[in-house]
Amino acid sequence: MGVPEAFRSLLIQYGFAFILRIWLYSSEFKATITERVEVSTPINSWKRVTEGVTLYNDGINPYSGDVFHVSPVGLILYSKLIEHVAAYLPVVFIIMDLFTGHLLYLTAVEYMKHLMCRQEEEKKEYSEEVKELMLNEKDVRKQPLYVVAAYLFNPYILFNTVAQTTTVFSNFCLASAFFCMAKGNRSGLCLFLSLATLQSLYPIVLIVPGAICIGYHTLPTNAKSESADHPDLFQKILPRALRSPNSAHWVKSIFATFGVFFTMLISLLFLSCHLSGGWEFLHSVYGFMLLVPDLRPNIGLFWYFFTEMFEHFRLLYLWAFQMNALVLYLLPLALRTRKDPVLLAATLTGITAMFKSYPSLGDVGFYLSLLPLWSHIFPYLQQGFVVLAAFIITSVLGPTVWHLWIYARSANANFYFGVSLAFAIAQIFLLTDVLLSYTKREFILRHGTSNLLNGKHGKLVLA
Amino acid sequence: MIVWALFTLFVAHVSGLGQSELYGDEFHEELLLKQLPSGHVYAHFQFTTLWENGGDQPNHHCHLFPQSLSEVLHLYNVDEMHLSLTGGLWRHENWGYPIVSAPPGAELWAWFKEGTEDVDKKWTLLSNALSGLFCASLNFINPQQSLNPKYSFAPLGAYDTPSRNRSLLRYSTLPREIVCTENLTPFKKLLPCDSKKGLSSLLSAGYIHNANYHSLGIHVRPQCKDVNCHETVLELRQTVSLVYDLIILGQESRDWSFRKLFGVGLAGSCPLASTSKIYVDCSTNGTSSVYTLTPDPTETINSNRGGYNTVFAVYDIKKTNIINMFSISSTHKGPRVYLLNSPPVLHATRYIVGYGQEHGGIVTKIHNNHWKDLDISLFENIPWFLPIYYHTLKISVNAGKQILKPYAKHYIPGRDRNRPYALELLVTLPPRSITEVYIEFDYSFLKWQEYPPDANHGFYVGAAVITSLLPHTKNYTGIPIDGSTFSSSINASRDTYPVTLHTEILLVTLPTPDFSMPYNVICLACTVVALAFGPLHNHTTKRLQMLDSCEESKGLLASLKLRLKSLLSKSSSEPEKSAPEQKREESKSKEPSQEGDPSCEQKIMKRKKTKGTAAAK
Repeated sequence: MGVPEAFRSLLIQYGFAFILRIWLYSSEFKATITERVEVSTPINSWKRVTEGVTLYNDGINPYSGDVFHVSPVGLILYSKLIEHVAAYLPVVFIIMDLFTGHLLYLTAVEYMKHLMCRQEEEKKEYSEEVKELMLNEKDVRKQPLYVVAAYLFNPYILFNTVAQTTTVFSNFCLASAFFCMAKGNRSGLCLFLSLATLQSLYPIVLIVPGAICIGYHTLPTNAKSESADHPDLFQKILPRALRSPNSAHWVKSIFATFGVFFTMLISLLFLSCHLSGGWEFLHSVYGFMLLVPDLRPNIGLFWYFFTEMFEHFRLLYLWAFQMNALVLYLLPLALRTRKDPVLLAATLTGITAMFKSYPSLGDVGFYLSLLPLWSHIFPYLQQGFVVLAAFIITSVLGPTVWHLWIYARSANANFYFGVSLAFAIAQIFLLTDVLLSYTKREFILRHGTSNLLNGKHGKLVLA
Repeated sequence: MIVWALFTLFVAHVSGLGQSELYGDEFHEELLLKQLPSGHVYAHFQFTTLWENGGDQPNHHCHLFPQSLSEVLHLYNVDEMHLSLTGGLWRHENWGYPIVSAPPGAELWAWFKEGTEDVDKKWTLLSNALSGLFCASLNFINPQQSLNPKYSFAPLGAYDTPSRNRSLLRYSTLPREIVCTENLTPFKKLLPCDSKKGLSSLLSAGYIHNANYHSLGIHVRPQCKDVNCHETVLELRQTVSLVYDLIILGQESRDWSFRKLFGVGLAGSCPLASTSKIYVDCSTNGTSSVYTLTPDPTETINSNRGGYNTVFAVYDIKKTNIINMFSISSTHKGPRVYLLNSPPVLHATRYIVGYGQEHGGIVTKIHNNHWKDLDISLFENIPWFLPIYYHTLKISVNAGKQILKPYAKHYIPGRDRNRPYALELLVTLPPRSITEVYIEFDYSFLKWQEYPPDANHGFYVGAAVITSLLPHTKNYTGIPIDGSTFSSSINASRDTYPVTLHTEILLVTLPTPDFSMPYNVICLACTVVALAFGPLHNHTTKRLQMLDSCEESKGLLASLKLRLKSLLSKSSSEPEKSAPEQKREESKSKEPSQEGDPSCEQKIMKRKKTKGTAAAK
C-alpha cells in the first residue's frame, strides 16, 4: 500500500516540478534570474561556460584568459552538450535536476532505514517515556517525500535550474555521492565525490564522512573473531576514545576509501591535463577559487571583505577564510558526529556552501533540501522562525538593494554587503541550531523528556 | 687682409658644403594649412630629419638628429618607434583624414630589431626612457598593459626581410594621459633650431593648447636612401597637428592669419634646414568660398593624386626675403556658405550600450561610403577590468540585415591585473554600408586601492584602431610610405592609400565600494565567521547536560565559586574519576542529591508540594 502511494506522490511531484521549470524557462523571468549575481557566480554561470566552449572550439585555450573557470572534463562535457543538444539544453538541465531529486529521495529512503535500524539497536538504552518521540513507519514513509519536495520546489533550486548554472551538475554529483554514501558503495562514492571535487574543490571535505559511512557499512558482523586475529595492532596507535574491537577494520576501510578517492581524483586531474593540453587549468579553476581574484558580489562573505582588505593582510585573511571553509570544522565535527556520517556530510556541505569563495543559491538550496531528513528534530529547533524570516527578508531585500546600488545608484555597496551578512548569519543560525537540536533529541531519548534534575527544574545546556 | 679672405673662404666653403655632405644628415621643416569643410583650420607642422649613419654605431656623433633620442633607440634595439601625445578627438566624419592619425591620450608602438632578446624588458625600459624624455606618464606602460597585435601596426620602414617576426612588436595606449606644455617643451628641444628660429618658433604653448585638437607625434623608422633602396637612412618625423575652431578663437569671420592661430609671426627659416616650406591647401578657393592669401605665394602647385586634384599655395621661406615678421593671412569675400558635409570613404565611431553597472556592450560602428567592398582590420584593445565575452561578438551590417563573418579573427583573452583583452578582426565591409561590431562585457569590481583618487570619474578604455587601404584619395592627405616629407605626397598616385583610424576612447564608471569602510567591513565579516565558530566550537567540545536552573540564576561569580569548590572537593575525594564522567553520572542519577543550596531546594520542595496538593485536589 505504501509503495504505490509513495510512487504516485513522487510522480505527481516530478510532473509538477517539470511543468514549473518549463514554464519558468519560457517566461520572461529567465533572463532576469540568469543574470542575478546570487545565482550565477563566475564559477558556475552558463554564459562563461558558453564563452569557454566557444574559445575551445575556435582553438584558443580557454584557460589562458580569466573568464572561464570550469574543469576541462566539464569543458568537454558542456561542449558536447552545446554541440549536440543545443536546442534541448533546458530539458537536459531539468532532467538532471529531477535525477538529483530522485537520488535524494533514494538517499532519504536508505537513510531512514538506517535510522530505524539504529533505533532498534539502541532502543534498550532509551528512556521509557520517549515512545512517542521515536521514529515510526509514517516518518519513514513521509520524510523522503519531504526531501524531494524540499529539493524540487525549493525556490533557490528553481532559480539555479532556470539560470542553467553548472551547479546543477555539481548538485547531481553531490546527490549521487550522498546516495552511494547511504548505500555503502565505496567506488561510486569515490567516483562522484572526485567528480564534484574536480568541479568545485570544496566537496573534498566530504570524503571524511564518506569514509566513516563506508566503514559502518562494511563493518563485519562477527566483529569479535575479526579483532582476535589482529590483537591490539591498532589499539596502541589510536587514541583511547577511538579504540574499539574493530579498529583494524576501521583503519583498513578508511585507508581504502581515501586511497580509492585520491586515486580517482588524481587520475581525473591527469585526464583533465590530457584534455586541455597542460596544467594551466589548475590555476584557472582551483587557483581562482582559492585566491579569489574576482570580487563580483555574491551571497558569500569573501567579496566585500577582500575588496576592502588592506593589501599586506590579504594573504593572511585568505588563508584564514579558506581554512574556515575547508578544514577548520572538519576534524572536530567528524569526531563529534561520527555516529551519523550523513548528518556530518550534510553539515559540511552547509558549512562550505556558506563559507566558500563563490557560493551560489544552488549550493544553499542543496543543503537546505537535505534538512527534511531530520524533520524529526524540527520540534527542538529554537530559532526556526528567526531563520525563516531572515531567509525571506534577505531574499527579497538582496535584489532590491542590488538594483538601488548598481542601477539606480542611490545606494552603495554597504547595503548589499549588509544583506549578504544577514543571509550568512541566518544560515549559521540554522546550521548550529540543527546540530544542537540533534544532540538535544539524542539526550532526551536517553534521559527522558523530564526537565527535572535531582527533583529540581534543570536546564539543558552545553557545558 | 689675406687672413680675412681665407676665413671668409673657409666659412663659405663649410656652409656651401652643407651639413648633409659632412654629416650625412638633412633637416626639412614644413607646415600645411588647410581650411576644413566644417570651417576649422588644420595646421600640420612636420619636422623631418634624415640621418644616413643612423643606427650604425652606438655613441655616434649626432649633428641634426637629437642625441638623446638616438641613444635611447640604440640602447633598446629599436627599429621603429611611433609615439603620439594627443588632446582632443580627430573627427573623421567632418574633417577627413589627418596626415598622421592619433588617438586621444598617449599611444606608443615600437618594432624592435631582429634578434632582440627579452623584448618585454626592453619595452619597459624604452617607455621609461621616453617618459623621461617627453615628461609624459609613459612609465605607466608595462608589459601587463601592452599588446602584441597580429594584423595591425605593420612596420612602415624599409627592411631587408619582407615579413617580420610579430613578437618584436609592442603596442600600448594611455587614454587618460593629458598633453600639455611640459610635453611640448622637450618636444621642441629635439629640433635642431629648438624654437628659436624656423617654423618651430610658431609653436607657442598658449595657442597650441587652445586648439580643438592638438597632437604631438614622434615617428622614427628606417627609410630608403634613394629610389633603388640599397641603403637606408634613419628618418625622424616630428609632427604637431592642430585643429582650430575659428569661432572659439574670437572673431566671427572665417579669416585666419598666423597672428590669430599662433600668436606670433615667422622671423625666418631655420638655418639648419634644407627646405622650409609652408603649404596652404586652396582647393576650395573659388568653389565653396572665395578668399585671397596675403602675401602672394612663391608658387602654386596642382597636385593630381589618385584622381583628385588639390591646389597648394607654396611659400618657400628660404627664398622669401623676410624683413620684419612673416605672416600669412586669408581674407574671405562674399557670404558665408555652409557646405554639405561629405564624409570620407571610411570612418567609425565607438560607444557603450546598456544601463546600470552590471553588464554592458561596446559597439564599433564602421561606415563604408565606397561603392565597392573594402577590407579593413579592426583592433580592439579592452583593459582587463572590462572582461569581454568573445562568444557575444556580432558583426552585423545595416542594422542587422546581414551578419558578417570575419575573414580572420585573433583573440587573446585578458587576465585579471595582468593582460588586456585583444581582439583583431579582418572584415570585408560591403559597399555603402554601416557595419556594427558588438561585444558584451561585464563591469568588474576592483579592490578598493585599485581605484584612482577620483573613483567616480571612471576608467578610460583605449581607442579601437582601424587600418585599411583606400582606393582613392578623397579627403586623404597622408604622406606615401616611400616619402618622408609632405612635398613627396604631391602627385603621388599609388594603387592604394593606407589609412589608420582611431575611434573615440570610452569612459566607463565601474561600481565602487565604500572607501571609508575597510575597518568596519573587516570587523563585521570576521564577526559573522566568529558567530559560526563559537557555537560549532561549543558543540564539538562540550557535552549537553541538565544543569540546575537555580545554579544558573545565581550569577556568574557565585556559580564560578561553586564550580571551583566542587572541583576541589572532587579532586580530593575521587581523584580517579574524570570530571565529565562524574558529571554525566550525576545528571543520570534520579534521586535528589544531598549537597546543594538548601534555600534553592526548599523553594523547589515548596513548588512540588503545591503541585502535589493541586493534583490531590
